Order: sequence, then structure tokens, then C-alpha cells
Amino acid sequence: MKKRSINLSALTRSKITWAVIAELLILLVCFIIRPDFFSISIQPSTGVLYGSLIDIVNRSAEISIIAMGMTLAIALGGTDLSVGALVAVSGAMALKLMRWDVLEYVTPGDYTVKPFWMAILFPLITCTIMGLFNGFLIAKGGMQPFIATLILMVSGRGIAQILTNGKQFTTMYSPFRVIGQGNLGPIPMPIVIMTVVCVLMALFVRKTAFGTFVEAVGVNRSASRLSGISSDAVIMIVYSITGFLSGIAGLIYSSRIMSNDSNNAGINYEMDAILAVVIGGTAMTGGKFSLLGTLIGSIIIRTIVTFVYYFGIVAEATMAFKALIIAVVIVLQSEPVREYFARRSEKRASLKQG
Amino acid sequence: MEATGRKRQSLLSRIMNPKYIMVYATIGIFLIIYIFGAINYADSGFLTLRTLIISMFTENAYYGISAVGMTMVLITGGIDLSVGAVSSLTGMLIAYGVARMNIHPLVCLAFALVIGVGLGAIMGAAIHYLNVPPFIMTLTGMFLTRGVCSLISRESIEIDNELIDALAGFKIYLKWWNEDGEWAKIKPICYINFNLLLFIIMIIIGTILLQRTRFGRNVYAIGGNEQSAKLMGLPVARTKIIVYAFNGFCSVLAGFAYVLYVKSGWNLALQGGELEVITCAVIGGTLMTGGVGYMIGTLFGVLLKSAIPALITFNGNLLSWWGKIATGALLLLFIFIQRVVVLYSDRKKQE
Repeated sequence: MKKRSINLSALTRSKITWAVIAELLILLVCFIIRPDFFSISIQPSTGVLYGSLIDIVNRSAEISIIAMGMTLAIALGGTDLSVGALVAVSGAMALKLMRWDVLEYVTPGDYTVKPFWMAILFPLITCTIMGLFNGFLIAKGGMQPFIATLILMVSGRGIAQILTNGKQFTTMYSPFRVIGQGNLGPIPMPIVIMTVVCVLMALFVRKTAFGTFVEAVGVNRSASRLSGISSDAVIMIVYSITGFLSGIAGLIYSSRIMSNDSNNAGINYEMDAILAVVIGGTAMTGGKFSLLGTLIGSIIIRTIVTFVYYFGIVAEATMAFKALIIAVVIVLQSEPVREYFARRSEKRASLKQG
Repeated sequence: MEATGRKRQSLLSRIMNPKYIMVYATIGIFLIIYIFGAINYADSGFLTLRTLIISMFTENAYYGISAVGMTMVLITGGIDLSVGAVSSLTGMLIAYGVARMNIHPLVCLAFALVIGVGLGAIMGAAIHYLNVPPFIMTLTGMFLTRGVCSLISRESIEIDNELIDALAGFKIYLKWWNEDGEWAKIKPICYINFNLLLFIIMIIIGTILLQRTRFGRNVYAIGGNEQSAKLMGLPVARTKIIVYAFNGFCSVLAGFAYVLYVKSGWNLALQGGELEVITCAVIGGTLMTGGVGYMIGTLFGVLLKSAIPALITFNGNLLSWWGKIATGALLLLFIFIQRVVVLYSDRKKQE
């Protein structure tokens, strides 16, 4: 009896529990309004899985991938505001390489001017370097993460626009289309990429000591340095990872629309990614983090968006729904409320013990 | 009472106080950019540049009005991401009220003020009592406000109202002695509009609040160290709530100024405006970690931010996107100066 009640209190204290309950509640509402919300079928023409749930996971790919890096940045006690701008840079660069000489190759078609590996690799390298720049400012320059990444957030979209001379390029190159719209067997490609990224991140963080390093630096940077962790290197690696992942998200985004849109690509992604992390139970103050929680958080966000689209509510009003659900999660996760719950369950346990 | 016997400092040493160094940096960089522009485009440039900068300044005034509140929030060590959305909501309320329901614009403004101040106070209370990070709390406020904006209307609503037109058309022409020694409008003609006037009034109010009242000293104390402010018995909760409420007030006024500028309400207006506002405050010398910042710095921050697009327009060959990059570079420069100043003063303290 005693063991069970302790488990229960641990469960109420765990932040992921609340996130899962929230997600299930939203899905329940969806199910009540429309019972066919959960139906998943295979499209006969393409052989790809099809359904609202698949769509939710598919569309959450960009945010999930970015949020993986954001989790580490937040666990360090920082944030990365530049991810949305990096998404724009990555897309602009890929399209620029594929349509290198626009004056010569006027009509978009199934071709690429520069080799395809360049169009994939160069944006990723650029974004990684930009992430490293953020990390460098924070680690070596001693700046606040918020303000250090604000620099690239402000100027990143400008860089993306200048890369393409302020123009919007489109392409029809089919290998590029595979990234965002293709499929591996019955599974849409973004889900495959997202799964690979999540698994690799989880292995990297939990099977090596890196995750522990991140938590140690997040809790107390100088203490971790004294205990022999090179905190500067940890910070720079984390922000490089975030930049790299934003680059991947940018490729997926621009492959979905088969063009670059420097003004709108990745807009508000930084906010969504941070929210995903916070809903997933990682505290903004740094320290412990949970990649699984983040994944659930980003799926929650996408569920809300899909919910709103699905039931024909004004698309922009999504934000209000997001805000309401976030407000509930915030209140449930806030210290005073959790302390209250923990105290109550402890009291109960002691009462039962007599 | 004067037991400490502090000597009254001379005016010069008060002006040269190192705590103002960030403000001087802002003013200095503005002057450098201005002189650089004036020399580079000297043939007809100097006077035209002046007009261009002033017109950019009047166009950016609504950012400035919001930056007054933001400066105060940043000084307490917080942040408010909801300002752009609150301004947008104000525009939406005024536009909807005037165009669709025939309500007097001032009544709409009053209603918007109640909502803006109320939202600010609620966010401030949640930040203090629930211990939610300001970033997350105000992000929620931003999403909520934007969502409500879109629920009111998805299309831009035109405003056709006498009072709004009159306020938008209000101009004070700048005058100076011309070659004949007459007091006349300067050429090329430049003027100050209602928005800029409102901005300057808000700067003055902000300065008085920060420098001359007990409330202002509490704000600086909380920004310096919240824990010791609490131990000193300062009303931390009340001060923080008032600061966020005041910021809401400023955002609503900024929204009103924006309405005068565009004469319409749009649910996606001023998207990303919060970052412009924060940028204005930071290049005005406000420290993001809290405790340091002056309203006069913010005034020059807005001026500096207006000078960049003015110069780019003036050059004519550059894409306007360079403005964003230049703003980023400017931010970087200022943060570096701030770091150097902080390191220097730390070392001095240790000695």
C-alpha cells in the first residue's frame, strides 16, 4: 500500500505526466466531436499512411527536430531565438544552390544547377557555423543567451534575403521533393527524419556522458568547470547542434513548399520550440531535461493546430488555443502548485500509515 | 539626517559618472553615423539626411512609446514579449469599434487601456507569485492576444473618423532662421507629428518615474538583486506588477500611435514588433540582466535605429535587407561595449 502511494506522488510530481494527460484530453475532445479523427488508412495510389494522427506527427517534424536542440539549450539555462531565422537561411541557401544562375535557367524544372549533395550539405554546414557563432558569443563572450541569439534572429532573415537577392526561387527537382513530401515505405519522409534525429539525439545524450555534462553546466556553470567539465565546449557544441537541427528543419520546410520563403519560413518557430520544451517539463532555469517530454510537447502543439484546422476555426485563432493550454500547463507545473500537490499526497500517505 | 555627510558632487563629475557610459556610447555612435552620412553625401546630403532621419524617427515613434515600458521591464530583469500583440489588439479594438459599431475612438482607447493594463498586471502577478519565467508568461500573453485579435477579425479594417484624421494630420513644423534672418520653416521641410510628441511625453514621464520617485528606486533595486530587495523590505510584488501593467499601458498607447500611422486595424500588424522594441531599448544602453538603463538612452536608441534605414535609403544601391543585418551588427557592438563596461567596473570593485 505504501509503495503504491509513493509511486502516485512521484507521478503527480513528474511534469511529463501532466503533458501526457493534456495531450490525451485534447485527443479525447477531438474524438468526441468527430469519431473518425483516429482513423488511419493507406492511400491506395501511393501506399502512404493517411489520417489525422499521421498528419499531426508529420507536420510536427520541423518543430520536433528543432526542439530536440532547444531542449539542450534550455537545459543549459539558455534559449536559442535564432532557430526560425536559421530555418529561413537554410531554405534560401538550398534553393540558391539548386537555381544558381537564375538568369540562365529561367524556368524551374526537374534539375539542379549545383550538385545535389552541395544543396543539402552547404545549408547544414552554414547553419551549424551560425549555431557555433551563437555558442561562441555565449561561452567565450559571456553574453546572455537570449541577447546573443537575438543578434542572428534579427539579422538572419536579412542574410537569407540577401542570399537570394530578395527573390523567391522555386524548383521542381524531384530528389529534393523527397525530403518533405516523399515516403519510406508507408511512412512519410519527415516522420522518418524526425525519428532518426530523435533516436540519435537520445543515444548521444543518454549513452554518452554528454547529457550529464549539459545538466551539470545548466545547474551551476562554475561548479561544473571546477569539477573538470569544459563548460565552454559543452555550450558551443549544444548551440552548434541547435543550428544544425534548424538547418534540417529548414530543408524539410522548403522541400514541402518547393521554394524558399525568407519572410515566412520558420516564423515563430523559436517560440513554438521553446513552448514544446517547457510543456515537456524542462525548466527554463536549466538543469534536468527530458527529450521524450519535448517530443510530447511538440506533438501537443501540432495537435492544437490540427484541431483548429480540422474543426474549421479561424486558423490564426490557433494562437489563442495554444495560449490557453499553455497557461494551464504552466500553472500546473509552477512551483507553488506542484508543492501543494506533493504536500497533499504526502499528507495522505502519512495518514494512511496512521 | 545628513549623518553620512556626502559631498555634493560638482555638475561635471555628475555628468562624467561612469554609470551613464552606455548612454554616451549610444549618443556617440549616433553622432558618428550621422556625421559619416553627412560627409559621405555632402553635396546635398546634410540637410536632406536630417529630414530623412527625423521622418524615420516620427515613423518609428510607436516603437519608442512601447520601448518606454519595455525599458522599465528590462531594468527589473524581466522581459515582455506581448507588446507587439497588445498594440495590434489595440488597433483592432479601435478599428472594430469605430468602423463596425460606431463607438467614439476615445471610448475604444479607454477599453483597450483597461485590457492592456489588466493583462499586464495579470502577467506580472503570475510571474511573481507562480514563479513562472517572464519569457514564458509573456509569450503566453502574446499568443493569447494575437489569437483574440484574429477572432475579432481576420481582415484589415479601415478607420474613417474625424478625430483619428485630425490627430494623424497634426504637425508641428520645425523652424529655424533662414538666410534672410527670418524665422521660417526649415528646408527640406520636416515636422514633428502627434506620435513623436506622445513619445517624448512618455519619455519624460518615464524619466520622472524612474529617477524621481520611490517606485523608480524600487525598480532599480529589484533589477540589481531581487533577493536583497525583498530582504530590504521593498514591495517587490507590487512593484513588479505595476511595472508590467505600465508596460501594458505603453503598448496600448503605442498601438494607438500605430493606428494614427496606418489608419487601420489588422490582426497581424506589428508581428515581431516586440523584438524591435527590445532592440531599441538594448541599443539605448539598457542591460538585459537588469539594474541598468535610462529613458534618455532609449530615446537615442530609437533615433539610432531610425538612422540606419535612413542611411540605406540615402545610399540607394543597397537592398533594404542590409538594414536588418546592420541592426544585428549594432546589437552585437552594444553588447560588447556592455560586457567591457561590466568587466571594467567589476575589476574596479575588486580593487
